[in-house]
Amino acid sequence: MNDNILFVSGRSGKAIFFTKRDVIVKSYCSVSSTCSLRDRCQSCEMVDIAKNYLTDRTPNSSIKTLDEELSVGIGEYKIGKRALLEAMGLGSCIGVILFDMSTGISGIAHILLPGASQTGETKYAETAIDKVLEDMSKQGARRSKIYSKFAGGAQVFKHMNLEILKIGSRNAISVEETLIKKKIPILAKDVGGEVGRSVMFNPVDGSMIVRYTKGGVIWL
Amino acid sequence: MIDLGNLSEMELDVLKELGNIGAGHAATSLSQLLDKEINIAVPKVRVGEIRNISKEFISDIVAGVIIALQDLEENKSGYLYIMFPEASSKQIASNLFGFEEFDEEMYESTIMEVGNILASSFCDASADFMDVILLPSPPSFAVDVPTAVIDSVVAQMAKRSNHIIIFETSLSSDSNIVIFLALLPEPSLLVDIMKVLEQL
Repeated sequence: MNDNILFVSGRSGKAIFFTKRDVIVKSYCSVSSTCSLRDRCQSCEMVDIAKNYLTDRTPNSSIKTLDEELSVGIGEYKIGKRALLEAMGLGSCIGVILFDMSTGISGIAHILLPGASQTGETKYAETAIDKVLEDMSKQGARRSKIYSKFAGGAQVFKHMNLEILKIGSRNAISVEETLIKKKIPILAKDVGGEVGRSVMFNPVDGSMIVRYTKGGVIWL
Repeated sequence: MIDLGNLSEMELDVLKELGNIGAGHAATSLSQLLDKEINIAVPKVRVGEIRNISKEFISDIVAGVIIALQDLEENKSGYLYIMFPEASSKQIASNLFGFEEFDEEMYESTIMEVGNILASSFCDASADFMDVILLPSPPSFAVDVPTAVIDSVVAQMAKRSNHIIIFETSLSSDSNIVIFLALLPEPSLLVDIMKVLEQL
């Protein structure tokens, strides 16, 4: 087990810190849009909590560590417990997160195509969601406690001459319909628009962190 | 149906040659357009799994131009994906206009047109030297990270295969302009190339 990923929840907001040899190397913060220090994170309540923890490793109620970082490629899905889940570089693709807060088991799928696959391929929305549910249950998640969040499905083309590029909204509709059909409550979504996204999920507090490729982070 | 995950060395070589000739001609057009010497990198052909595709591209924001290619019977032959890192696209536009400031609309259509010219010379070369006819579609344009730009094209190709072939090269000048050029062929392009080869 490594404890290089820290989740800090302070009075002013929440933040994820990636650390390397006890030094903060990257952060995603819920107040970054209103933060006067921008992303430089020199000093604030949350940075201080993290730095203190890195020096003495004393357990603290406002800090939690995450076991690992699981990143999915296009058409893949992954299941983890206390793992930071990630899907990077989503254009028309969708990052779908299913989670059971009672057990901490959560899963992420990077969906490429709408509909279902005849041959069990998880690049399709319905098939991917099915597989994630199945694997989560196998690992001990309770079906009735599973909730969902998803983001992606942008239309990044400003000038478009190919019909096939309009797949983002179809993906978003397919994901939403599948979740409704399976009676999985949707707690948050951030779809459409013209900008690509990266999506992360923090299983400690159940928040989905959406980072836009052209700047800006939102916590949902 | 050709299995893209299982191509022979020879099939890959032929594809590489097509890419080489096309990219060489695209470089010549760019050189004439900008009146600069253009270098072309040693191209690479990779057969990759779709799930790993984000590792194939740079992670910075690019101006991306996508052009679909068809053969004479309107079969999809593949896609040309031209990536202009932002600094390069701005420099190309200012080179062509002769001034630094230009409005967004003007800049976007310029980069699309440069993409169009590069794609056309790529296609001309493939017809002249390999007898493989490729007809380019009008360009589509987006500014984002390369994976986000291309994923809708990948979605289209992923319906048929879990593998994707990427022929990639870069064109660069001494004035820090770099353009990445990728060809994502559909299996039918390989069929067309093989037919031409059999006639030799």
